[in-house]
Amino acid sequence: MRKFLASALARGLLWQVAGWLVGAAFVTGIRLLLGLRPLGLFFFTEPAWVFGGFVGVLAFVAGSRIADDWFRWARGQQTPQHRDDPPGWDKYIGVSLDHKVIGIQYTVTSLLLLVVGGSFALVFRTELSATGLQFLSLQWYNTFMSLHGIGMIIGILLGVAGVINYLVPMLIGAQDMAFPRLNAFSFWIAVPGVVLLLSSLALGGFDTGWTGYPPLSARGPVGTQMFFLGVFTAGWSSILGGLNLIATTLRMRARGMTAFRMPILVWAAIATSLITLTATQLIGLSFQLVMFQRLFGMGFFDPGKGGNPVLFQHLFWFYSHPAVYVFVLPGLGVISELLPVFVRKPLYGYRWIAMSSLGIALVGFLVWAHHMFASGMNSYLQVPFMYSTLLVAVPTGVKFFSWVATVWRGKIEMPTPMLFVLGGIVVFLLGGLSGPPNATVATDLHLTDTYFIVGHFHDTIFGGYVFPFFAAIYYWFPKATGRRMNEKLGKLHFWLMTPSFLALTLMMMRVGLLGMRRRIADYDPTLGFDGYHLMMTIAGYLIALSVAIFLLNLFKSIKHGEEAPGNIWNSRSPEWQVPSPMPVHNFDRPIEVIGEPYDYGLAGSQYTRFVQAAHEEDPHP
Amino acid sequence: MNHLEKSDALQQGIIVFVFLAVLTALEFFIAVAIEAIALLAAVAVIKVGLVLYYYMHIYKLDQDSGEDQHSLAYKTSTSRLGLWLFLLSDAFVFGGLAVARFNLLGFTRPHLNQTLGLAVTSVLLLSSFFMNRAEASMAHGDRRGFALGILITLILGVAFVAGVLGVEWPMAIAEGVSPSASAAGAIFFMMTGMHALHVVTGLIFLGIVWRNGVRGLYSAERHWAVEAAAVYWHFVDVVWIFFYPALYLVGSIS
Repeated sequence: MRKFLASALARGLLWQVAGWLVGAAFVTGIRLLLGLRPLGLFFFTEPAWVFGGFVGVLAFVAGSRIADDWFRWARGQQTPQHRDDPPGWDKYIGVSLDHKVIGIQYTVTSLLLLVVGGSFALVFRTELSATGLQFLSLQWYNTFMSLHGIGMIIGILLGVAGVINYLVPMLIGAQDMAFPRLNAFSFWIAVPGVVLLLSSLALGGFDTGWTGYPPLSARGPVGTQMFFLGVFTAGWSSILGGLNLIATTLRMRARGMTAFRMPILVWAAIATSLITLTATQLIGLSFQLVMFQRLFGMGFFDPGKGGNPVLFQHLFWFYSHPAVYVFVLPGLGVISELLPVFVRKPLYGYRWIAMSSLGIALVGFLVWAHHMFASGMNSYLQVPFMYSTLLVAVPTGVKFFSWVATVWRGKIEMPTPMLFVLGGIVVFLLGGLSGPPNATVATDLHLTDTYFIVGHFHDTIFGGYVFPFFAAIYYWFPKATGRRMNEKLGKLHFWLMTPSFLALTLMMMRVGLLGMRRRIADYDPTLGFDGYHLMMTIAGYLIALSVAIFLLNLFKSIKHGEEAPGNIWNSRSPEWQVPSPMPVHNFDRPIEVIGEPYDYGLAGSQYTRFVQAAHEEDPHP
Repeated sequence: MNHLEKSDALQQGIIVFVFLAVLTALEFFIAVAIEAIALLAAVAVIKVGLVLYYYMHIYKLDQDSGEDQHSLAYKTSTSRLGLWLFLLSDAFVFGGLAVARFNLLGFTRPHLNQTLGLAVTSVLLLSSFFMNRAEASMAHGDRRGFALGILITLILGVAFVAGVLGVEWPMAIAEGVSPSASAAGAIFFMMTGMHALHVVTGLIFLGIVWRNGVRGLYSAERHWAVEAAAVYWHFVDVVWIFFYPALYLVGSIS
């Protein structure tokens, strides 16, 4: 307990709360002096809460001491190149510069947030299981629905960062990221962001959905502001993480690792990072503009002052559409990475897959307005955006064909990670096929804002992110802990989750086609959707049960899993050529690349080797 | 930069500055005389190109830094890449603001004081020249020239912020261009405010570099912090090269 209270996490959170109150009190004091109304509906007024929230984030940075090295640099002091972490669990709640620790910090935070966001879904799913209002008020329904959306999104972004941070330096044979301090900062800045986001529950919630469109978001309760501020803060984690990843892959690769000899997941990570580095700024900007509209009456989106609400949607979707590629590209990379291992065949069309990741990322920048076919933007924009959106199917199709060709006549093994890889392919295919009807203007006008869309994007995100994320955890868990997860529980997890999930989303699409609107708390009993909704709710609980089994498996396996010190999957990737758990500096002897990465089953081929002792030089003479 | 003799570096800095000044005057008179948006855009792009190449040394991104990942040259090169990636990211904020400005106002502009606009623009441009002087001095090991250059840059930077926040803002409000009155006012204050925020962070950065430089922490071989501060400062100037015509020169008064 004392260890916990002394940790960066506890100090940071404590300082954040203190800073929040101090900032809010400061604004309240000024309001008193100016003769403005000092207190509001939630004790403090909205400007006080927002300013306090901002001060709280700064206080978190100060309290957790994550930026101290930079302050020392500013004062002209030297800082140590490397810090050793304490051996126990408490390094995970302290500031560590080790990319593996940071990767696990990201992943655990992500899992926590996904569990929270998932439970919100169960709450409103229960409400929907029958017509009429069961136990939620409309405001609470909207709040849970909105927080489910944005909570899952931030959770997934953190999970993506976790996978990338943990794996990419190992995969390219580096000892760490290019900027370890920035890496630590990127993780820690997400924590106060998540706290702010969840605090909206206590401040009246918000009822705009995760998209936060004005004019509704310009006049909702204070919780809306906390949602904006929380996402804005957590967004910095994404931006700086992407920056770090690009610099790392461009500058830290092992000798001989040319661009087309990198593991395929690294390509996916670069494509993802290009999006997070640049586009994230625009969701930040759009949220900032709404916050300022609320705080200072600046009329960006207020038609009464010459503003334009559709402008918000342009800025918002310029990030938020590419954001789904941020979610799925690393997932698809994991699929491409694991398939050859479990079919013992070379990856088919390596260069095509690598380029298709970049292709999806770049085309993804040109499609945002397909979210706005029904929102009154200029109609001449509809057709170009329809075609650019349909174009995304081309690089995505490249991936599918290459997966099929990889599996073709392979010696397929079916441990849990492979199950999730194959499940991910099937579910993502469903998500992909249900996409073009939404991209085509004529059909989209019918499908917009129905459950068909809900079914579609749950398929893409589960297939593109959730299934591969589980696969990655089952696959690389031994690398992090030296033990493997229980196979029986893993298979139970898969066989419980997959059919429930397919039933859930297929029924979503079905009721959507029949006219069920999304984001509503109640529906007309004469529509005859009661049975579907009840079954969807049951399916939702079954998914939750399967995830509970997964979490149980995860926690039990950390201490009691079967020991797996070696290359248990028989992989060619560099990280499996050293013992598990991974040594502190990854590769005590530098590696070099001497062959193609995915030549599974080809006799005599070799991907990496340790640099010969004769060449070895002391890096710090 | 290092390949240039010191006197050549000075000469180059002056020539580039003269070009920038002439182009700024040119765009001002274009805007007074005719409504030529494409011409204004072309002038701005040329100015930015000059700053990117001669003041920010963008070509250094392509410099060979050897194979040894533990060498200072290699690490500096990695840091440089990181800084430029950050600037790319930051450019999207300003790009988004520019998009918002043209979406909301089209080819009209708020009624602002032209003399003041030209004055603060000149001050910022001049500060870039002195920043370039400071960096070139340090690259040649001239600490006194460095300290003087940074100090002048700092003073000009403070003058810019004072001009925008202290003079321009109250004058605009008096003219009816206030944040809460109209979308035009809102976007004007948002763009200048966001830019001023970056100028202020740049000033803090300059102050740190000045103090550490005076204490003798940098040398001709080892002054990455000076280079970083310089590149960031010029980036703030680059943003203003676009924002100045977007706010003061483009289109007709609404």
